[in-house]
Amino acid sequence: MLEIKNLHARVEGKEILKGVNLCIGDGEVHVLMGPNGSGKSTLSHVLVGNPKYEVTEGSITFNGKNLLELSPEDRAHEGIFMSFQAPTEIPGVSMTNFMRAAINAKRAYFGQDQIPAAEFLKMLKEKRKLVGLDAHFMSRGVNEGFSGGERKRNEIFQMAVLEPLFSILDETDSGLDVDALRIVADGFNMLRTEKTSAMVITHYQKMLDYLKPDFVHVLVDGRIVKEGTAALGYEIEERGFDWIKEEVNNA
Amino acid sequence: MLNVETMSSSQQYIQLYEEQRALLEQNSCPTMNAQRSKAAQLLAQKKLPTRRNERYRYFNVQEAFAPDYGVNLLRTLPAIDPYATYRCNVPNLSTQLYFVVNDTPMLHCAPNQPTEGVTICAMREAGALLQEYYNKAVNDADTVAALNTMLAQDGIVVHVAAHTKVKHPIQLVNVCDAAMAMMSNRRLLIVVEEGAEVQFLLCDHVAGKSAYLTTQVTEAFIGRQAKVDFYTIEENADNVNKLALYYVQQQAESRVAMNGVTLHAGHSHNHVNVQLLGQHADHFTAAAVIAGDRELVDYNIVVEHVAENCNSEMLYKYVLDDESEGAFAGKVLVREGAQHTTSQQTNANLCVTPTARAYAQPMLEIYADDVKCNHGSTVGKLDETALFYMRQRGIPETEARLLLQHAFVNEVLQRVELEHLRDRLAHLVELRFRGELSKCAGCKMCQ
Ligand SMILES: Nc1ncnc2c1ncn2[C@@H]1O[C@H](COP(=O)(O)OP(=O)(O)OP(=O)(O)O)[C@@H](O)[C@H]1O
Ligand SMILES: [Mg+2]
Repeated sequence: MLEIKNLHARVEGKEILKGVNLCIGDGEVHVLMGPNGSGKSTLSHVLVGNPKYEVTEGSITFNGKNLLELSPEDRAHEGIFMSFQAPTEIPGVSMTNFMRAAINAKRAYFGQDQIPAAEFLKMLKEKRKLVGLDAHFMSRGVNEGFSGGERKRNEIFQMAVLEPLFSILDETDSGLDVDALRIVADGFNMLRTEKTSAMVITHYQKMLDYLKPDFVHVLVDGRIVKEGTAALGYEIEERGFDWIKEEVNNA
Repeated sequence: MLNVETMSSSQQYIQLYEEQRALLEQNSCPTMNAQRSKAAQLLAQKKLPTRRNERYRYFNVQEAFAPDYGVNLLRTLPAIDPYATYRCNVPNLSTQLYFVVNDTPMLHCAPNQPTEGVTICAMREAGALLQEYYNKAVNDADTVAALNTMLAQDGIVVHVAAHTKVKHPIQLVNVCDAAMAMMSNRRLLIVVEEGAEVQFLLCDHVAGKSAYLTTQVTEAFIGRQAKVDFYTIEENADNVNKLALYYVQQQAESRVAMNGVTLHAGHSHNHVNVQLLGQHADHFTAAAVIAGDRELVDYNIVVEHVAENCNSEMLYKYVLDDESEGAFAGKVLVREGAQHTTSQQTNANLCVTPTARAYAQPMLEIYADDVKCNHGSTVGKLDETALFYMRQRGIPETEARLLLQHAFVNEVLQRVELEHLRDRLAHLVELRFRGELSKCAGCKMCQ
C-alpha cells in the first residue's frame, strides 16, 4: 500500500527527516514511536502533503501512485487520512457543512453526483454513534470550543465518515479519558478491513493493548532506528528510549 | 493650504447652483429650497473635505468629484419603468418596493400601495412633515451633506404612524442608470413614531457603464420605544463613487439595527451619525464587507451617547481581496452625564492577499465617568492551518478559502433577524465569493 524510500524533509529550512524507509502493506497496523521532537508528526505531515514541509530527497509510493506529485486534497481522495495531533478550530464553518463539502469533493473526484441530503444526514448519524459524538457538535463550528478529548473523538468521527484506505493517527490517544480511549479504539477497530491500513503514533502502551499492531517502528532524530513487533512497544514503555539511542550510537 | 482641485470642485458646484438656482428651485419644493443658501455658504466656506479631514481620511473626495458629471436639474423622468426593468425581490420575502432611479423617486408607477399606517411619498409632495424634519438631523457641518442639501431637488419621505407594526419590509432600491456621466443627489427622510416597528431594505445598484457619483443623505427620526431595522445592500461597480450619509436620532427605549452588506463597490464612503437622545435607547450597527479588485469601502461611524443608560454596538467585518481597501473608523462619543453607557466596538479584517489594505480605527471619546466601553480590532490573513486541515479532508483549496471567508463574515449575517433575508444574503455572499455574481447589470436581488 505505502512505500517510503530514503525520505528527507525540511521545515523552516531545518532538516528533520534524514532518510526514512518504511513499508506498510494492506490490512496492516503499524505503530510509530519515538522521543519528542524526533520527527513523527513531520513524517505524518509530509505524507499528507502539508506545504510547510519540503521534501528534499526520496520517494513515497501509494498504491502505485507517486504521492509527492499529488495535492493534499487529491491524496485525501486517494484514501489518505490524518488524525491531527492538534486539530484546528475553524470558527463559523459548521461540522455539517464541513463534512458535506469533504464528501462532495471526493464524489466529484470520482465523477459522482453530490450526496443526497437524506443519505448524508443518515450517514452522519451512524458515524456519530460509532464514536459517541453528540448531535449538537454537528451544528457547531469545526472544533470550535471543543475540549481536547472531543477534538480527538471528532477526528475519528471524520475518519469514519471519509472511510480512508490509509489512516495516520498522530497521538489520537493523548487527551482522551479512559472511557473515551476505549470508544475511539473500538471505533477504529470496527473500521479496520483487509484493505485498510494505518500508521499510529503513540507514546502509550494502552494503544498497543487495544490496537494489537502488526509492527512497531522507532524514529530517532529523523531516522527509523529500530523495528519489531508489539513486544518492542511494551519494552519501550518499560525502559524508555535511551537504550535504543545508545544502540544507535554504538553501532 | 487646501488642495486646488477640491477648491475648484466646490467652486464648480456652487457656481452651478448660483447659475441654475431658478431652475433648480422651480423643480423642487419650498422646504428644500429654504435650506440651500445656508448649505451653499457652508460649502463655500469649508470646501469639500480633503484627506486631512478626520472623517475622510480613507476616501478621496477630490478624485470622486473630479469628473465632469451631468446633473438632472430639469427632472427629466428616466425613460424606463423600473418595476418592469429591474425585478428586485428577495424570494419568500414580500416587500413594499419602491425605486429611485438616479435621484428621481419612482413612486407613481409603483404597483403596490403602502400598508396601513405607512406613508411613502416624494419630498415635493410631503408638505408639513417635511418642513418639520428636513435637514434637522444633519448635525456635523459636513460639506458633502451640504453639497447634497444645496443641489438635491427631490427625495423620499417615509412616515410610520405610532404603534404601527409594519408587516412587510419597506424596500427602497437606488439604481444608477444613465447614458452619460451623472451625479445624483439623493435624499431620504424616515420618521418612525412612538412604539412603531418597521424594517427597511435599502439597496444600491448600478445599471450602466457611465461614471456615477451619488451623494445620499438619509435622516431617520426614531420615536420612543420604536424598533427599526435597516438592512443596506450595496451591489455597485467600479464606475460608481458613492457617498452615503446617515443621520439617526433615537428617542428613549428605541432600538435600531443598521446591518449592511457590501457585495461590490466602486468607491464607497459610508458616513453614519447616530445620536442616542433618550434613556435606554439601543443601537446596533454592523456590516459585512466583501471587496476585491481596486474597490474601496469606507465606514465612518460616530455613535453619540447623549442620554444615560444607552447601549451601542458596532460589528464590522471585512474580507479584502486583490488590491482592495477597507476602512473602519468608529467612534463612540459619550457626552457628559451619559452615565451607565455600555458600548462594544468590534472590527475584524481578513486580508486575503498581501496587496489588500485594511485600516482600522476604533475610537472612544468619553466625558462621563461611569461607563463600560470595549473596543477591539484585528487585521489578519487566512488561517493557513485551517486551510490545510480542510484540504487534508479533501476540500479543494479554492473551496476551502471560500468557506473560511464566508465563515468570517457569517457572524454579521447571523445578526439579520429576518430569516428569509438572512438566507438570501448568505446565498448572495456565497455567489460573490465564487465570483458568480457578475458586476451589476441591474438589480441582483432578483436572480
Ligand atoms: N512548523 C515548524 N516550524 C519549525 N520547526 C518545526 C515545525 N514543525 C516541526 N518542527 C521541529 O521539527 C522537529 C520534529 O517535530 P515533530 O513535531 O515532527 O516531532 P514529534 O516526533 O512529532 O514530537 P512529539 O512526540 O512531541 O509530538 C522538532 O524539533 C520541531 O520543533
Ligand atoms: Mg508529534
